[in-house]
Amino acid sequence: MTAHPTNGLDDVVHQRVRLGVLAIAHEARRVEFGFLRDNLGVSPGNLSQHLGVLENAGLIDIEKGYEGKRARTWVTLTKAGRMALSAEIANLKALISRVESPGTPPD
Amino acid sequence: MTSRSAFAEGDPRRLLSATRSLTNRVRRAQRATWLPLLVFATVTFVSILVTAYGGHHPWTCATMPGHPGGRVCSVYSTAQFVYWPIALVLAYAAIAAFYIRRSNARGVGTRVRPYAVAGAIIAVAVTAVAAWGSYKLLVTPDPAALTSMPLRLVTPAGAIGLALLVLTWAERNRALLLLSVAYLAVVLLPLNFWVLGPNPNWVVPIAIHGMVLLLGGTGFLLAQRPWRRPA
Repeated sequence: MTAHPTNGLDDVVHQRVRLGVLAIAHEARRVEFGFLRDNLGVSPGNLSQHLGVLENAGLIDIEKGYEGKRARTWVTLTKAGRMALSAEIANLKALISRVESPGTPPD
Repeated sequence: MTSRSAFAEGDPRRLLSATRSLTNRVRRAQRATWLPLLVFATVTFVSILVTAYGGHHPWTCATMPGHPGGRVCSVYSTAQFVYWPIALVLAYAAIAAFYIRRSNARGVGTRVRPYAVAGAIIAVAVTAVAAWGSYKLLVTPDPAALTSMPLRLVTPAGAIGLALLVLTWAERNRALLLLSVAYLAVVLLPLNFWVLGPNPNWVVPIAIHGMVLLLGGTGFLLAQRPWRRPA
């Protein structure tokens, strides 16, 4: 018996804001805090909390610095972060496939 | 920038769809396709002036096989071996600098490095191959080879087209892929009626290459509207 796709979902990644951070960082390679805040539609405090969770899990690196007098925070995806994002996307696709499959009994 | 989230709660289908939407937003914020096209259109049009007024300089001569006393000489043009390599490398440096500056301003990384590096390498390689080709033609003169397809690819226009394919990959840009293929087709196809006859007009093909880049660059400029901040 194959494992249900939900078993593969990682609680750290399977959260809309954190999944969004990983998706943006993967495509952008390097992304600034303000870009994440604007595109995810979250408050700075909320975003900081989510970034902390991802950093503690080793999925992102956070680099803080100054550009002139302006403080800037840059986020990059780690190798573990890329793998976690790929696994989450694969699991979501498997879940959709399983739900849409005509012979699948309801859970 | 909008404060509205593109990332909605919901089922896996909606999560995947929202992830794709975010990916597309990042790509739109990263793209500045109009800039390389307009830069290379300018470089191409300026090359017409350099070719016209830069002159041709004797390189070396050799006796022609089968023609006693006959000699075939090779010349190099200022445009071919001086202007183009310098202009292309400087253009890639300027494009990379613009992309990086814009990336810092927008807070989103750029994928310009593979394009700029590949473009500069192709430019230098094309110049080296052109020099080797000139020498080869001197040793075994073959006028038909001048209009052969491989030789047309080993030109500054071919180098620009090949590098545009790298930018297509870097920007994941289907519209640019269409333009790059069309541009390379114009460069490669044997539409050489203007170089035949007693008064060959060398300006026409270069002007056509420049116009394709100019029109493409203008189209992307209007589509991408860089004067607006991405939503």
